[in-house]
Amino acid sequence: MPALEHILVVNAVLFAIGAMGVLTRRNAVLILLSVELMLNAVSLNMVAFAVYGHVDFGNITGIVFAFFIIVIAAAEVALALGIVVRTFRNRATANVDEVNLLKW
Amino acid sequence: MEDGVTATQVVFWILAVVMLISAIGVVTAGNIVYAALFFIASLAGVAGIYLILTVEFIALVQLLIYGSAVVILILFALMLTRARERPQALFGRSRPLGIAASLGLLAALIGGIVATTWTTPESSAAIQPVGLQAIGDAIFTIWIVPFIIVGVLLSIALDGAIMLASPDEDDN
Repeated sequence: MPALEHILVVNAVLFAIGAMGVLTRRNAVLILLSVELMLNAVSLNMVAFAVYGHVDFGNITGIVFAFFIIVIAAAEVALALGIVVRTFRNRATANVDEVNLLKW
Repeated sequence: MEDGVTATQVVFWILAVVMLISAIGVVTAGNIVYAALFFIASLAGVAGIYLILTVEFIALVQLLIYGSAVVILILFALMLTRARERPQALFGRSRPLGIAASLGLLAALIGGIVATTWTTPESSAAIQPVGLQAIGDAIFTIWIVPFIIVGVLLSIALDGAIMLASPDEDDN
């Protein structure tokens, strides 16, 4: 088995890459993809903690949390893509910096 | 593990490198469809790491929900917003700032991981595989109320997505 620290460092890198995508991309769908990368890093972290600790602590809550994260991410993707499609119909753009109706 | 690098560790590092390179491809690719394809590769890498961590159930859920359903949704959204037809800047003006902020976040996270003393199990025998039955027991006994709530949430969210994306009566 790989060491717990190595898994955590890999997940930290994945999380930072996702954050970079969220902060640098313009297209709403690509921002959503980067958010999914960050969610993946977090749920992988939880699974790692659960697998390495369930003998000592006697529960597998981290794995159940990863399952819930995946389900909620599916709901979030469906809703966010609905919003993107609706925004594209109203404003003819999928870029977040051109959707400035609330910008004063 | 006392005997240095094991086969599992080698596979883990290969998967991790593939996953991270694909993730970098997702956030830097110049073509939106390429970014979505890199995303599939990254998800497959994450599923492989789940397999190494002996949780086959989460790996299967990852491949079924993320690898197929979410990716198909995203490809449909890319088609519906016709992002391919108009070549345009894919990165915002604050790109250097975003890269710097994410590198700072990475430094903070790795600093925190390195500075913490983790109580890992001493022998590999302490890492028991988590069976499917244990996961099912946990979900359907302790976590049954959150499980039902998350099911209701999922169906409400999908209904809301259909309502959001369907055209209004007065659109045409």
